[in-house]
Amino acid sequence: MVAVIELTALTKRYGATVGIEQLDLEVEAGEVFGFLGPNGAGKTTTIRCMVGLLSPTAGTARVLGLDPIADHARLTPEIGYLPGELRLYGELTGAQHLALLGDLQGRPTPRRDELCERLELTGRDLGRLVRHYSHGMKQKLGLVQALQHDPEVVILDEPTEGLDPLVQETFFALVREASEAGRTVFLSSHVLAEVQRACGRVAIVRAGRLVTVEAVAALREARARRVRLTFPDGSDHAAVPVEARWSPTWSGDELRLLIHPDEIVPALRRLLQLPATDVAVEEAGLDEAFLAFYRQAEPDAKARPAKAPAWGTDPPADQAEAGP
Amino acid sequence: MGYGPTGRPGGSRPVSGRLVLYWLALYRRRRMLLALTIGMVAFETLIIVIARTIPPQDLFLGSVRQPPSAFRAFSGSGGEVSLASYPGLLGAGLVHPFWIAMQLTVVGSLGAAAVAADVEAGTIELLMVRPISRARLLTERTAALVTGSVLVTAAASAAIAVGVEITPRLREAVPLRGVAAAGVLGLGLALCIAGPVLAVSAAGRHRGQVIGATIMLGAVGFAVNFIAEAWSTVSVLRFVSPFHYYRPADALVSGSIPVGSLALLLGVGLAGVAAAAWLLARRDLAP
Repeated sequence: MVAVIELTALTKRYGATVGIEQLDLEVEAGEVFGFLGPNGAGKTTTIRCMVGLLSPTAGTARVLGLDPIADHARLTPEIGYLPGELRLYGELTGAQHLALLGDLQGRPTPRRDELCERLELTGRDLGRLVRHYSHGMKQKLGLVQALQHDPEVVILDEPTEGLDPLVQETFFALVREASEAGRTVFLSSHVLAEVQRACGRVAIVRAGRLVTVEAVAALREARARRVRLTFPDGSDHAAVPVEARWSPTWSGDELRLLIHPDEIVPALRRLLQLPATDVAVEEAGLDEAFLAFYRQAEPDAKARPAKAPAWGTDPPADQAEAGP
Repeated sequence: MGYGPTGRPGGSRPVSGRLVLYWLALYRRRRMLLALTIGMVAFETLIIVIARTIPPQDLFLGSVRQPPSAFRAFSGSGGEVSLASYPGLLGAGLVHPFWIAMQLTVVGSLGAAAVAADVEAGTIELLMVRPISRARLLTERTAALVTGSVLVTAAASAAIAVGVEITPRLREAVPLRGVAAAGVLGLGLALCIAGPVLAVSAAGRHRGQVIGATIMLGAVGFAVNFIAEAWSTVSVLRFVSPFHYYRPADALVSGSIPVGSLALLLGVGLAGVAAAAWLLARRDLAP
């Protein structure tokens, strides 16, 4: 397969602050590739290097075999891009935006009407000034402008932000269709379920570094098991022997554990020796699975605080994504 | 611009937009430009009305005593034209702080719109992921700025020309060719300031930086010229002020453009644009 996106030791620093560091990545033609990480992980910086807005401090980015900065004029007609924080001209209407951006793209826009219809942007909506749009409507307009010229490579930074569930369904259908039509989709998100649903492979980044690139199916298999044990009333919690790595938490007389799949059988054998009145085992949520993955992937994990950064919440100041 | 709010997305109509970035900059500031154009016409009309109310004999009385040399900064003359004359009065209208403020508003606003305002607003991300070279961005935005300055300057010149044409004693003192020459020189001053302002915009991230640079160049430039005219010890400083080369009263009388001064003003402007191109080519373009 041909690599449509190739990042080689891609590094972007802003003075002393590291945006991304030594990022290596390959995305093949027709793939829907997820780019996952908490806010401030370096996702947007990576994408901006890929579309030629930022020049790398070191390393290279190539899209469709072209350098995003040196070959800007040749590459960009083939790209459809939705920024993470979509900013529009408040004094222009939606229709004016689509016409303006279509003209600047320099290519016909055969999908404009169809996309507007499917994303429920009515003629009346498009005739209104964008400053009166809700966040969701702006996002819909952003998706139309990114896809209206039927680009070869679609790069979407947090695309479902602000979309209602029904429109999200349409969005996922559009992604699926793009992939079926041989287009390459690079989708950045901090919403794990979104990536799981849309993507075949996923890269996980944290603090500007690549943690792993895996097939979504493999990550699903690596998911921890959540075990719930119910003890009789008045049990002595301290007397229950559990491993700290299982992240034990008590809720009344119920003990909750997260156990890696490789360990689940021997762990259950041990746990069943305890005087529990009920046992339940289920797959952990994706959030917990990815956090478990992080812990495994990081060599200095033990030196870090037990609490991993919250997905979908603002990062601590020292991890905040730096601007140029 | 060619995108009426049709209420329809436009379908797959052929790509037809030309100079889109140029029109976008002007379209977004159309109300401001209209207000400044009207303001400029109103102000110069007021100057004409004032000049019309002063009989010639009063002007001559006023010229008995030579005003202090610092007043040259306000008369728009190197000393050849007295403030107490019709060309001096009209020239004063072309170096008046109000005239300067309106020119600087155009330069600052459209200078900021060149790059920095889009970076600050985040809209640069939408524009520059398309096949637009940085040179094209700067060229179209510079053209928008020049258009704005031409519009406002032409409005001032037109108002003066009409006033001169309908007032016999002004027509005797000021040839229409002189009004045109003064207008061209005024445009030269605006473009002289615009060049460095564009460079600030090309490197900047906030429109405030560009507005600040515009005000600094305009206000400091005027102040330096004024001080240099008033205080002989530092008179050499006048050569670093663009206002030293902007003498509309002299142009009004002579009816000719001082080519050397105009070339110098435009040269500084072009150097600023070249610096802007150099800076823009080397910067990151992200909000």
